[in-house]
Amino acid sequence: MPISDEAYAALEAIVGKENVSRNPAVMDSYAFQWLAELVRPELSHFMPRPVAVVMPGSTEEVQAIVKLANKYKIKVKPHSTGWYHWAAPMYDDKDTMQLDMRRMNKIEIDEKNGIAIVEPYVIHAQLHAEAIKRGWTCNIIGAGCSCSVVAAACAYMGMGPGAYYMGGHAENVLGMEWITPAGEIVRSGSLGSGDGWFNSEGPGPSVRGVIRGALGQRGGLGVFTRCAIKLVHWSGRTDWPVTGTIPAYRLPVDETQRAYTLAAPDWDRWADLYYKIYDNELGFIFHRQFNLAGADLAPAFWLMYTDPTKKLSDVPAMVADPEIAELTEEMRISFQIVLSGRSVADIELQDQILDDVLAETGCWKVERFCDKDMAEFTNVYLQRLGHKHINFVWVGGYIGSWMQIGTPDWVKGYIPTAQAGLARDAKDGLLVQCGGDAMMGPGSSYPGGGGVGLEQFVSYDPNDEASTRAGIKHMEDAITDALSIGYPPGKEAMYLEMGHSDDRTFKKWAAAKQPFTFIFQRKIKEHYDPNDIGDRMYNYIPEEYEPAK
Amino acid sequence: MALEDFKADALRCTRCSYCKWIPFDLVKSHDYAKGCPSVDYNKFHSYSAGGRLITMLSLMQGRSEVDDDVVDIAFKCQLCGNCDVACKVCRYDMEPLAGIKEFRRTLNEQGKVPAAFPKLIGNLRSAGNFAGLPQAARRGWTEGLGLKELAPGGAAAGAAAPVLFHAGCRYSFDPTLRSKVQAAAKVLTAGGLDFAVDPAEACCTGKAYDMGYRDDFAAGAKANLEKWAAAGVKTVVTPCATCFWTFKRLYPEVAAAAGLEVPEILHTTQMADRLLKAGALRPARRVSLSVTYHDPCHLGRQGEDYEAWDGKEVKIYGQAVVYDPPRPRYNGAGGVYDAPRDVLKAIPGIELIEMERSREAAWCCGAGGNVREAYPEFNAWTAGVRVEEAKSTGAEALVSACSGCEKNFAEAVAAAAAEGAPAGDLKIYDVLELLEQSL
Ligand SMILES: Cc1cc2nc3c(=O)[nH]c(=O)nc-3n(C[C@H](O)[C@H](O)[C@@H](O)COP(=O)(O)OP(=O)(O)OC[C@H]3O[C@@H](n4cnc5c(N)ncnc54)[C@H](O)[C@@H]3O)c2cc1C
Ligand code: SF4
Ligand code: SF4
Repeated sequence: MPISDEAYAALEAIVGKENVSRNPAVMDSYAFQWLAELVRPELSHFMPRPVAVVMPGSTEEVQAIVKLANKYKIKVKPHSTGWYHWAAPMYDDKDTMQLDMRRMNKIEIDEKNGIAIVEPYVIHAQLHAEAIKRGWTCNIIGAGCSCSVVAAACAYMGMGPGAYYMGGHAENVLGMEWITPAGEIVRSGSLGSGDGWFNSEGPGPSVRGVIRGALGQRGGLGVFTRCAIKLVHWSGRTDWPVTGTIPAYRLPVDETQRAYTLAAPDWDRWADLYYKIYDNELGFIFHRQFNLAGADLAPAFWLMYTDPTKKLSDVPAMVADPEIAELTEEMRISFQIVLSGRSVADIELQDQILDDVLAETGCWKVERFCDKDMAEFTNVYLQRLGHKHINFVWVGGYIGSWMQIGTPDWVKGYIPTAQAGLARDAKDGLLVQCGGDAMMGPGSSYPGGGGVGLEQFVSYDPNDEASTRAGIKHMEDAITDALSIGYPPGKEAMYLEMGHSDDRTFKKWAAAKQPFTFIFQRKIKEHYDPNDIGDRMYNYIPEEYEPAK
Repeated sequence: MALEDFKADALRCTRCSYCKWIPFDLVKSHDYAKGCPSVDYNKFHSYSAGGRLITMLSLMQGRSEVDDDVVDIAFKCQLCGNCDVACKVCRYDMEPLAGIKEFRRTLNEQGKVPAAFPKLIGNLRSAGNFAGLPQAARRGWTEGLGLKELAPGGAAAGAAAPVLFHAGCRYSFDPTLRSKVQAAAKVLTAGGLDFAVDPAEACCTGKAYDMGYRDDFAAGAKANLEKWAAAGVKTVVTPCATCFWTFKRLYPEVAAAAGLEVPEILHTTQMADRLLKAGALRPARRVSLSVTYHDPCHLGRQGEDYEAWDGKEVKIYGQAVVYDPPRPRYNGAGGVYDAPRDVLKAIPGIELIEMERSREAAWCCGAGGNVREAYPEFNAWTAGVRVEEAKSTGAEALVSACSGCEKNFAEAVAAAAAEGAPAGDLKIYDVLELLEQSL
C-alpha cells in the first residue's frame, strides 16, 4: 500500500523534503539487490519495493522516524551501503520504509586509546585510511572496504582476512548507540554510564549478546546510529604510498612486512600448515584469496589482471601458456598471507619460522606470486580489500556456497564434495567453469586460528534465465551435498531463506534441534519491538509455531 | 544503441556502490574518498551510476515511468566518468558511463530534458554556439597576437594549415578566460610551431552529444571534419579539454560514417610538452608558486585514445563474458595525466603538490554534462568541494587545462572569498599561462 500523505508529510517534517522520497523509480534503486533474482518470483532482480526511502541525519531523527513507524505501523529496514538482498525490505504485503543511513557519516579517532567512533556511512576504506595515518590499522571485513563499519560491527557478521590477528568486529565493537524498534535510545556498555566508548559490556548496560551475537540481526531489530571499534597497532608506513594504475595498484612492502602466496601439495598438508601457522602465531592477514577465480584459471586470471594492457579475453591464451600451466599446478592449493613484524629483527624471525614450517609440512612459497611485483599487489589487495567486487568479475553474478566454519581438518572434509558439486553443476555450461575448486576464505575468522572457512565461488549470469536457474539449483544441490556428508548447510541456505515465506521459515526454525534460541529471541523481540516494525532477520519463532514443550 | 543495449549492464550491476567512491586503493582520508558528485549531492542511490542503471531497468520493465525525478536522475550528473573507472577496477563487462549517456539520449528523444536544454540547443542551432553569441565575437581573443588564419575555403583558397589551433567556444567568447587562451597561443608561437586559427571556428558540439541531441552533434562534427579535410589540416591542437575529448573520442565514428579522416588531436599541454622535450621551449624565468593540478575529466580519465569496435558479447568457460573482437577497455588507465604535469615540472620555481583525488580519481570541477547550465547550484557545490580540496594541499594556486574547469573554479573561489572561506585566496591558472610566464 502506498504510504499515506499524512505519514509522508510527517517524515518530511523530520528529515526535510529533500531527504525522503516515495518516487517509484527512486525506491526501485533500493529494491534492486544482488541475489534478489535467486529468491524472487520470476527471477526478478527487485526485492519488495519500500513505501518510502528516508535519509536521517542524526540519532534524534532516526528515533523520530522509528516512533513514527510505530504510530503508522510501517516496518523499518535500515541499510548503510546496502549490498545484499537482506538489506532490502523483505515483505510484499507489509509496508516497509527503507532507511538509507548515508547522511550519517562522521568519524572520530581517539588516537591515544586506539578507538574509532563511527557513524553508519563511514566505510572501511575511510576508517583504514584515517587509522593508518595515525599508526593504527583495523580489521576490514571480507566483503571489502566498501562496506560500512557500523553495519559490520553491529548488524551483521564482521569477519575478514584480518580477523585472525586483529579480531573480528564482533570482538572489536565497543560502545554502541542503538535505536530500539520501539524508538528508545540505548547506549551500550561504558557509553551507557557516561564513561565513554571504551567498553561494550560495562560499566553500563550490556546488550551485546542480545543484539549482536555472532551473526547480527541484519536490520531486523532497530537501527544502529554509532559505534566505537577497536583499532590495531600498525608498524608499517603511515603515508600509504600506493603506486601504479587501475585496475591493479601496488603497495610497496615495508621492511617490517612480507606478502606471500604459499602452496601445499594436498589438502592434508594444507591443514597441517594452517595449524603450524596458528601455533607459531604467524600471520597478520591470512586468506585464501586469489583462488576465487577457480584453481584452473586463477594464476592466468591474476597475471592478466595485474597487466593493465590485458583483458578478460586474454585469459584462455594465458591458461594455455606452458609456463602458466605449470604455475597453475604449482599453486592449485594455495593461499595468501601477509606477515607484520614490530621490527626488522622480528620479521626476519617470522620469516625463518615460516621457512621452517614450510619445510616441515612439505609446502612452499610460490615464487612467481612472491616476486616484488606480485607481492606489492598482494599487499595492497589484502591490506585495503578494495577489490572485493572482483567476486563478480566473470559475469556479474556470484553465489558463495558452503563456507561452514571450523578447524582446517573439518573444513578439508567438505572440499572434495564441494569441488565435485561445482564440476557437476557447471558441466553443461550454465555456470562458469573455472575448474578445480574455486574456494576462498579466511585463514581463520576467529582470532588466533581454528575458524577457517571456505566458500565455493559459483558464477552465474544474472542476465540469463537459464544460468540464474542453474545458480538456484546449485544452491539447493549444495545443501543436499552437505547433508549427505554430515555437514550442516552453508551460506546458500541463508540466501535461499530470503525467498521463503514466514510460515515456511518459522516451521523450519521450530523444527531445529535447539528451537529454544528462537523462542528466547521472540521474548527479546516482544520486549523491544512491541509493534513488530522489524522483520524476521532478527530470528525468532512466534508463539503459535512453538513446538510442544 | 538503445536503452535495451544496457539491460545486461543493469542486470549484472551488483549494487556494490564502488561507483560512488574513488578506487579504494587510492583512498587516503575520510574526507576525500568520495568520487561521484551526483550521488554525494543528491544522495539517493538513483543518483549513482549503478542507481541510474537500475532506474533504466525499472523503466524498461515498466515498473516506473519518466517523471521529473527521473529526468533529474538522468541529467543531474556531470558525466565525469569516475564511476566508470571505479566500476572497472573489478569489472570487464560493465559500461556505466555509456549507459548513462544512452539514458539521456532516450529521454531526449521523448522530449524529456531539463528546462534549460531547449534554449541551449536553440542557441546552437541559431547562433552556432550554446551561449547564443554572435559568431563575430569569437575572434576577439586573437586581436594583437598576429596569428595566421585559415583562409575561408581552406586549402582550396591556398592557405594550407597543417596545424590548426581550435580555441573552443568558452575560451573564445568569455573575456575572463581570454588571458589563458592567449597564453596558450603565445607559448606555441614561442615554441616555433607553425599554426593557424580559424576565423570561422565552429563549436565542437560535444555538449550536444551529452545532452542527447545526437543529430546536432553529428551535423556539427561532420561540418568540422569536412572543413578540416578541405583545409588540409593534419593536427588540431586545443586548450579546451572538452573539445579535445569530443574530437578524439566522438569524431571518429562520425568520420568513419562519412568517409573522412580525423586529424591528429592534441591538447595544448601535450603540444607544449612536445616542444619542451624537443628543446624548442626553454623556460628560464622563475615562477615561484606552489600549485596543485586538477585533471579535467575530458583530458584525464576520458582522454584515452579512441578504438573502433564493432563486436559482440561471447561467452567462454560456459558463462564468462568477453567480447569478439576484444572490446576497448576505457577505464582511465590511458588518460592524459603526465603531459600537463611534465609541463609544470619544467617551469623553474613551480612546486607541484598533488591533491588526494588526482589523475583517474580526480573529483570533477562540476561543469560537465551540462550541469553548469542546467543545475547551477549543484555545479557550484561541486566546484566548491574541489577548491576546498585544492586549498587543503597548502598550494597557492589551482591549475588546470580546460575552460570549463577554470571558469568554474574562478567562480567557486570568488564564492569562497565572499564567505570568508580559506579557499577564497586560491589563484586559478591554466598550465600554459604559467609556462608563458616562465618564457
Ligand atoms: C560480496 C560480499 C561478500 C561478503 N563477505 C563477507 C565477509 O567475508 N565477512 C563479513 O563479515 N561479511 C561479509 N559480507 C556481508 C557484509 O558484512 C554485509 O553485507 C555488510 O556488513 C556490508 O556492509 P554494508 O554497508 O553493505 O551493509 P548493508 O548491506 O547496508 O547492511 C547489512 C545488513 O545490516 C543491516 N544494517 C545495515 N546498517 C544498519 C544500521 N545502521 N542499523 C541496523 N541495521 C543495519 C541491514 O539491514 C542488512 O541486513 C559480504 C557481503 C557481500 C556483498
Ligand atoms: S555500476 Fe558498477 S560499481 Fe556501480 S553499483 Fe553497479 S556494478 Fe557496482
Ligand atoms: S559520471 Fe560522475 S557524476 Fe555522473 S554518475 Fe558517474 S561519477 Fe557520478
